[in-house]
Amino acid sequence: MKLQRKLQQLLKSLIQPLTAVLIGLLTGAVAISLVGASVLETYKVMWDGAFGNFYFVTATLARATPIILIGLGLAIAFRAGVFNMGAEGQMVLGAVSAALAALYVPGSGIIKILAALLAGFLAGGLWSLLAGWMETRFKVQLLISTLLLNYVAVLFAGYLVSRPFQDKSGSAALAQTHMIDQVAWLPKLFQGMSVHMGFVIAMVLAITLYIILRFTSAGYEVRMLGYNPFFAEYGGINKIKVLLFSMFFSGGIAGLAGTVEVLGSQYRYVEGSLTVPGYAWTGLMAALLANSNPLGTAVAAILLAALQTGAMGMERNTEVPLEIASVIQGVLILFVTAKITMNWWKVKKKAGDIHGAA
Amino acid sequence: MELLDLSFFTSAIRMITPILLAALGGALCARVGIFNVGLEGLILAGAFSAIVGNYFSGNVLVAVLVGALGSVLVSLLFGMAAIRFKANPIVAGIAINFLVLGLTTFGLRAIFNVKGAFYDKNMEGLPKLDIPVIEGIPVVGNLLSGHSPLVYIAFLAAIVLYIFFYRTVTGFRVLAVGKNEAAARSLGLKVTLLQYGAIVVCGILCGLAGAQLSLGQVTMFTEGMTAGRGFIALVAMMLGQSHPIGIVGSSLLFGLMDALSIRLQGFSMPTQFTAMLPYIITIIAMFFLKDRGADSQLSGQQSSR
Repeated sequence: MKLQRKLQQLLKSLIQPLTAVLIGLLTGAVAISLVGASVLETYKVMWDGAFGNFYFVTATLARATPIILIGLGLAIAFRAGVFNMGAEGQMVLGAVSAALAALYVPGSGIIKILAALLAGFLAGGLWSLLAGWMETRFKVQLLISTLLLNYVAVLFAGYLVSRPFQDKSGSAALAQTHMIDQVAWLPKLFQGMSVHMGFVIAMVLAITLYIILRFTSAGYEVRMLGYNPFFAEYGGINKIKVLLFSMFFSGGIAGLAGTVEVLGSQYRYVEGSLTVPGYAWTGLMAALLANSNPLGTAVAAILLAALQTGAMGMERNTEVPLEIASVIQGVLILFVTAKITMNWWKVKKKAGDIHGAA
Repeated sequence: MELLDLSFFTSAIRMITPILLAALGGALCARVGIFNVGLEGLILAGAFSAIVGNYFSGNVLVAVLVGALGSVLVSLLFGMAAIRFKANPIVAGIAINFLVLGLTTFGLRAIFNVKGAFYDKNMEGLPKLDIPVIEGIPVVGNLLSGHSPLVYIAFLAAIVLYIFFYRTVTGFRVLAVGKNEAAARSLGLKVTLLQYGAIVVCGILCGLAGAQLSLGQVTMFTEGMTAGRGFIALVAMMLGQSHPIGIVGSSLLFGLMDALSIRLQGFSMPTQFTAMLPYIITIIAMFFLKDRGADSQLSGQQSSR
């Protein structure tokens, strides 16, 4: 009986995202047929571009790495009931700090790597903590301040790499730091493939977070604050402390996202390399799709990354433009948040689940 | 080159226009309790539809109307999600931004068969409006005259919105919805209708903002040509406390900063810091303004999730 109820619950929680995926793919199909291509063939090419062979699978996982980390960071904040919109700035500051630490901290490779990871985590975390502190101390809305701090962070990082720390050795003076010494690179998981150690870090973190949120009292406090801040306070939880901690880790993990991109694939901080692909927004979507469940976030992040790498493959091999991925993503997230199926479910079962999905 | 000359201010006024229009639209949404993060997407939709309208009709007026219509359609989609289906407006807004970026780039390929940007020299841009009397006054004439009609419409819209909010019954009801939706509903106000109304007008305003972008200076459309203006408009709206006159002020500030950072490039100064200023000013302003304006309802809950 218990198992059956659990299965039912699982199905119920899956209906919403699955419907959204279906509607997203249908919209994509309409768009594809509008440009006069074959829908099935295009989706097949897209699938191949994401999972077609081992090389493409690793490319997808490499792209998913920063998205998973961003999503995990945001999941912590969302679980605590704070809408951290500042992942982009936290990631970029983490990336640039990590690059500088790897460049200028003396020592062997492993020391450089550890210093960079620490610097990236701290930079992202403290930047995020600033917003949390402004919220708890001065009631400056976190949602808005994090959004604003993004611009400040991205512009500041841009200043750092176009002025004091710019690599002027190349002929074209791009806004980027010097290349990091090879000893401080995160190793690739497979020879010649783009997926690197960062992916392992992300997955380990996903599992750890899942366990912490689910089975420890600290995780319980975070979730309690998110579900019902009044009850949490009544239950003796120090609201401010939990909120600040959540923001610090949320931003720190976003900073790690930038760090592993720098140490694992770019080997330097290049202006725009993290903001242009929209990692932060995609990570936000992953966390929302999975309703802030860490393991689910990782899966959603990989799926969204697959959608993007698949679209790239599609653009290489067909006439259909890459942006179809954006369209599908947009529709997907729009329908995930809309409580359509929830309403439908309620009417049928007459049982209310108010907290439900995001 | 002088730092502050007349052309500096005229360029600032041009830069203000799309921000001001979109920020007013956002303010209208905020006043009915919907925080509209999708402004960026709405402007982009307007810019693209305006170019499409221009290309197929060859008439600028039609182009602007099509621009507004395109934006309204997207805005209604956002409204449906946020109001009818109770989606989190912030998430829905982000989704709209992605959706429109994809759709417009896709449309660029599907309709015009180009990638990146579309330009046709036969397309006619917005006319420059010379105001009869003011035109003749030496400095003021150069500053105020000779802009596209949308520039004047933007400032006019701010005044109209101010009168609407504070001098009409419907406007008063709109404010009531923003202050406390449940109370407004219990008084028998047609909350949903007012919200949809705000969404539609917001769409029109953002459509005009987009038309100014794609038809104002150069008549062309480029992928993602809004380049964050929607978010700047959002910030202008917050700094202006969703008050029409406040928004004019904050938009002027942002327009000046924008023009200033472009001008400073000529002086080989780091432009990043001037570009940062609007955001820092807004953050500082939020320390003082936090308890006022329509956004207070949003901050009441710890999170909007």
